[in-house]
Amino acid sequence: MKHEASVRDHSSQSRGALRKGLLLLSAAVVACLALFVTACSSISCPVQNKVATVYEVNGTLNDTLTITTRKKDGRDTILLNSSTNVTSFQLPLSFQKPVDVFLFRTTKLPALDTVWVEKDDTPHFESVDCGVTYFHTLLSVRHTGMGIDSIVILKNNVDYDLSAPHFRIYFTARN
Amino acid sequence: MTCRLPISASISRLAISLLLIFASCLGARAQLSLKYERDSIPLFRGFAVSVDLAGLLHKALGSYGQYEAALRVNLHDQYFPIVELGIGSANHNNDGVTGIYYHTRAPYFRVGADINIMNKKHTGNRVFVGVRYGFTSYNVNISRPGLVDPVWKWDVNYDISGERCSQHWGEVLFGLDAKVYGPLHIGWSGRFRFRFSHTDGIMGKSWYVPGYGIQDGSVLGYSFYVAIDI
Repeated sequence: MKHEASVRDHSSQSRGALRKGLLLLSAAVVACLALFVTACSSISCPVQNKVATVYEVNGTLNDTLTITTRKKDGRDTILLNSSTNVTSFQLPLSFQKPVDVFLFRTTKLPALDTVWVEKDDTPHFESVDCGVTYFHTLLSVRHTGMGIDSIVILKNNVDYDLSAPHFRIYFTARN
Repeated sequence: MTCRLPISASISRLAISLLLIFASCLGARAQLSLKYERDSIPLFRGFAVSVDLAGLLHKALGSYGQYEAALRVNLHDQYFPIVELGIGSANHNNDGVTGIYYHTRAPYFRVGADINIMNKKHTGNRVFVGVRYGFTSYNVNISRPGLVDPVWKWDVNYDISGERCSQHWGEVLFGLDAKVYGPLHIGWSGRFRFRFSHTDGIMGKSWYVPGYGIQDGSVLGYSFYVAIDI
């Protein structure tokens, strides 16, 4: 009888110790997890976060090319400044204007062309930690014909992917 | 060139390692077992309702969190089918760096089951592993007041209102449940959540997903609950 009572006591003590251990362990792990989750956060914004259109020149332009556009205040701003032997270049698109207007100026063949790019704009969101931007869908492109022969849309979607050209531009022949 | 892991991946590894260490320690001491314990205890042992305190804490300390309750069935102190219902919300107002407002509030649910892996099932304390399936359908409002086009300098109205999103996800979890007094239990669980599918509307991505957390392919989560056997 004494032996059985001793075994019962021992078993009861073990259960008590186990329960206490579980409680302590629970508290410790919850505290650790709470600290991890509330103290740390990761920011995962895309590294390549530039949205632009890529123009591929048919061949190489043997001329000096300058591209400007007109801002809200009426002043011109230079987007491409006196580039020579151009094979490709990038131009931004406005966030919300339905048509963007660009002025292409060349010097060897004195020419000033206007290019109109019509598009749809879609707001794009990554995270509250990253800046906001817009993606676009190209609808049409028009131009004057002094120094530009034609412009063809190759890819409609304008997003972070700058690896493939959106336009192919054919300039008139230079000597 | 070295490749640095993002901090979330490091934390994930650390937390999983800790859970494995705890599991192995408990395994040695408490003799974990998946065997069905054959005894005179009936199969149906009642229900338990619980309230998650971790979501409330998260909501109080940060800009997102959830109110969550669960109903758990006790089958032979070993199997615990469970339904978790909650309302998750995020109110991220005028971010200090990006100036973005992000609002969402929506219900979610998870269904699944836990298995008590302790060798002695009927002590009232439990060590369990479990799985969950979760779903939520939610609307988000995102705005960025005062945005100006960086090239043309036109004012931009960046406002996404009521964009409808949804997500299906799964969870695997490990946790402890301790009997405190009478029918009162407390417990915690660490959860690895992984996305099955999601719809994010026109804007590409959402940020906080009710019941899941910050949008990503997989995330770590946790719960700390108080439960009462009924």
